[in-house]
Amino acid sequence: MSEPPAGAGPGAPGPRISRVYRWDLDKTYLQTDFDTVRALLRTAFEGAGKKLTVPGAATLLRELRGAPAPDGGVSRVCFISGSPRQMRRVLMEKLRLDGVEFDEFILKPNLRNMLTGRFRAMREQVGYKLPALLAGRSGLMPETREVCFGDDAESDGFIYSLYGDVLAGRVDRALLAQILVGAGVYPEDAQRTLTLADALPRAEAVERIFIHLDRRSPPGRFDRYGARLVPIYNYFQAALVLYEGRLLEAPAVMRVALEMVDKHGYSMDALRNSLQDLLRRGRLGLPAVQALGETVAGGAAHLPALGELPGARELIRSFAQRLRELGPLPEGAGAHRGESDPIDYLKALEEDLPRRKRHG
Amino acid sequence: MLTIAIDAMGGDNAPDEVVRAAAALSLEKSGRNVQLLLVGDAGRINALLHGLRHDAERIAVHHAAHAVAMHESPAEALRQRPDSSIAVAARLCAQGQAQALVSAGNTGASVLACRDSWGRIPGVRRAALAAVYPTEMRRGDKDDPFSLILDVGATLDVSEDDLCTFAVMGAAYAARISKNPRPRVALLSNGSEAGKGPREVVRAHARLRRHPQLNFVGNIEGVDIPRGSADVVICGGFVGNVVLKMLEGVSETVVRLASYAYKERLLWRAGLVMLSGGIRRLKDLTDWEQYGGAPLLGFDHLFIKAHGRSGSRAIQNAVKVAARGAGTGLSEDIAEGLRLLPPAEDAPPAGEASG
Repeated sequence: MSEPPAGAGPGAPGPRISRVYRWDLDKTYLQTDFDTVRALLRTAFEGAGKKLTVPGAATLLRELRGAPAPDGGVSRVCFISGSPRQMRRVLMEKLRLDGVEFDEFILKPNLRNMLTGRFRAMREQVGYKLPALLAGRSGLMPETREVCFGDDAESDGFIYSLYGDVLAGRVDRALLAQILVGAGVYPEDAQRTLTLADALPRAEAVERIFIHLDRRSPPGRFDRYGARLVPIYNYFQAALVLYEGRLLEAPAVMRVALEMVDKHGYSMDALRNSLQDLLRRGRLGLPAVQALGETVAGGAAHLPALGELPGARELIRSFAQRLRELGPLPEGAGAHRGESDPIDYLKALEEDLPRRKRHG
Repeated sequence: MLTIAIDAMGGDNAPDEVVRAAAALSLEKSGRNVQLLLVGDAGRINALLHGLRHDAERIAVHHAAHAVAMHESPAEALRQRPDSSIAVAARLCAQGQAQALVSAGNTGASVLACRDSWGRIPGVRRAALAAVYPTEMRRGDKDDPFSLILDVGATLDVSEDDLCTFAVMGAAYAARISKNPRPRVALLSNGSEAGKGPREVVRAHARLRRHPQLNFVGNIEGVDIPRGSADVVICGGFVGNVVLKMLEGVSETVVRLASYAYKERLLWRAGLVMLSGGIRRLKDLTDWEQYGGAPLLGFDHLFIKAHGRSGSRAIQNAVKVAARGAGTGLSEDIAEGLRLLPPAEDAPPAGEASG
């Protein structure tokens, strides 16, 4: 199921793991179109070189994996995707081309599902991803924190939130069983999920969930999942939130921005709007933005590793100026920075994951 | 990259329909080089955006504490609330943060806000508000069914100079927006002869006839407007406003009469059903929501006034018109056209009564 590099797999001896970054692939890391049968077929047969990365995702992943942890531990990158295992070779080649290193790579056993007549499991995600996440957690220490990345096309927001709340002990065994039945999970998958959940020590492990709004869903759709889940329009926004959480440093944020400008044609206006959007939604605090602005305004002396991208220095100066010009926060900002109410998963099943979407 | 400022608080259906329009526009792939700047109550705008599909990379919000209501006296409202959304939006354009402005709000306040913050194109003494109206004929590369009439209310008392300026501005706008390279320009008068009409019309006629670039076709009468005898019809703001309201009134009356007939007799109803295809085409033709709004011409930025009752679709079209007009060299075209305008003739001809 997984393919860990030597010495870094679950349970293997090695450096202490401080943080795990869990990534979905399609529509989260890759710009995948499977909304039509033709697009689905094209996706299935296209080579690694043809696959497109979501702007900023590759740089952000590299930065996260290489970022020094404050406690001296290391970070792991784990992919968990609904793509079939038959695509492993081409997907791994794509990550290699992007220069992205990873520690775990989990794909869905869809051929086995088909051959054993488990047709519902071919589309259903809760019964596949939740036990896979819990299994991936089993080799980690309770204090290892996790940051999860998904998208709005499937049920990632629901699954990652449920995963975090199961680990934290906010969803007990009986409720979890009820949720799994409601989600249409096969009984054997449900039983395996419950067993895995029982075996894990309780911990506030999932500290942040990013949902890439690939379909441009209304951000309000995810309010039910609380402040931990941040809907994002691009990975510059994710980098900003991670900077505020001290998981990334200013040069790393700027490298994500520069990649988006240099390789994907992002304008300064688009980056500025992305920043303002986070502020307006209360997903980012002004002090963090001001600190970032001051750091990048300091410029060359503090950011020696920003590379030789054309116009990089000018871009940074302009960006710093825009940050300072933002002025006071618009009214209504800050609404999502406090404590969140408990998530009603049974209600979320009915409202956010109507039956057809639970399998999407 | 082009930025269009939108007065989020202007119009009968603001801010809901305005924000809905911005959200929908932000998702359109065809306009990826256009950014939208929503100006208004940031709290309300944010709350609306939060529940809508949109692309936040293309939308910025600028807070404005107040708004001018549709019924308010424009000058007084702007004096009392200089931080109203339309005034703030006009200032943002002047500061270079946007290249054009769209509002469905109070027309007078919009014109005043633009006048207070924007500069005029060299040679323009007074601005003109232009309206489009449907005609029998279609024109230009886009097969545009609409003609332009200006001024329809920005400048009530006009001079010969103003009418000539309006002609140049209207022609430049029609060429840019309707892709009609040589629009036919006419003066609205009480007869087609050159000597007909009030003095300023007669004198303007004499000058426009000598313009080296303008496709001036002379005077037309009111009856020629819906026929489409001219692509750009020039008149003073008072006359233009009366004409526009009358055209709207006639259109509404026809619809009401049809509705009455439908209810009154089975035979009439059957006749109307048989004509339904044609009526639908007529409705499409006179559908003000699709043409996007009226441009205010003469300033160094473009302002598009959307109908006060605009819904999301009308606002979207108004923004598209603004995006087409801004950054296309419209101001430069107008300045060049005015430079070529012949000077006034010395002897003022006397006006004639209609005949």
